[in-house]
Amino acid sequence: MAKIIGGIGTSHVPSIGVALDKGLSETPDWKPFFDGYVAGKKWMAEAKPDIAVVIFNDHGNTFFLDRVPTFAVGVAENYNPVDEGWGARAIPSFEGAAGLSWHFVDKLVEKHFDPLVCREIEVDHGLQVPMELFFGRPEKWPVKIVPIWVNTIQYPIPTPQRCWEMGKVLREAIESFPGDERVVIMGTGGLSHQLQGSRAGFINREADQAWLDGIANDYERYRQMSREDYVEQFGSEGAELIMWLVMRAAMDSRVELKHKHYHAPASLTGAGMVVLENAA
Amino acid sequence: MADAATQIPETPLFDRARSIQGYKLNKMAMDLGKPENREAFKTDEDAYLARYSLTDEEVAAVKARDWHEMVRLGGNLFFILKISAIDPTPMTRIGAAQAGMEHDDFLRQRLGKAV
Repeated sequence: MAKIIGGIGTSHVPSIGVALDKGLSETPDWKPFFDGYVAGKKWMAEAKPDIAVVIFNDHGNTFFLDRVPTFAVGVAENYNPVDEGWGARAIPSFEGAAGLSWHFVDKLVEKHFDPLVCREIEVDHGLQVPMELFFGRPEKWPVKIVPIWVNTIQYPIPTPQRCWEMGKVLREAIESFPGDERVVIMGTGGLSHQLQGSRAGFINREADQAWLDGIANDYERYRQMSREDYVEQFGSEGAELIMWLVMRAAMDSRVELKHKHYHAPASLTGAGMVVLENAA
Repeated sequence: MADAATQIPETPLFDRARSIQGYKLNKMAMDLGKPENREAFKTDEDAYLARYSLTDEEVAAVKARDWHEMVRLGGNLFFILKISAIDPTPMTRIGAAQAGMEHDDFLRQRLGKAV
């Protein structure tokens, strides 16, 4: 059966991709941010996953408001980067792990989830940036992907509890998938930021640090928090952090926090990552 | 949810009312994801905007690049950001406009940058 080899939580701020495109990663503004990812990249290179499950939200690039899926799963063989207004970025397209995707969709519906199932769809920076942060800029990505979209744009967004439950189904799907693939799960988004309204520019460093410490083994409070609490503590767009719960729920109840990094601000956002392994 | 959450100070959430109000404005912006529409916008902004039956208020806000006003009219930042790809505007300037602050003050006070 396929095996979960680790869980990643990471920011997916679009300006990270822009900084890479423009070769700014060694500038004083960006160097401290990228330096903190070196350990995570090394972990990934040594862990050698075959498949990355990436949980992220679209940012008005792939889905418009004419149809807003609360949860969507890609089952495509291939995913191209979408044009976000600046032209599609010059990064390789992503090969899909279609077999695992379909198996996950089967399990979801069995467990009374109702996902949108996407056969032909592009992916925005929400997926691109985490892949670049952990795999660099290869000619071809070393993993196949299972993209999972969560609506965090138009209210009602799903509850943190529901994201948690989806993570449980994800684990069951991976562990019942015939094969010997090594799977890494990447929950993305956040950390604290707000881009709209007069509280724009809100960053909560204290709450971000507590999140990065707590998501490993003190996660129960984050699972129980309301959406309002997320918005209040992490900002309107910082509520994206609910997507890390999908990853966390798919891991053991006790995990080892292998790596952690925090930097603020990256653009207008508290940014960082954790690397988790199931405790032996 | 939306009613309770909109009570968080200075934090407009993109709820039912805003989504309905801003639909055409956001659709106009979403379509700028296509190169041919970006060209049309650059060539004749008025003619491009006229395709979307926007209100006079919405047209004025877009033409003035008034980010605060576009959000007030139901624009969602992720869509209207595509306008900033046409005539490049740094995200921090859009943030400062939302906050109603001078750019340097915004960088210092909100983001903790030494400016």
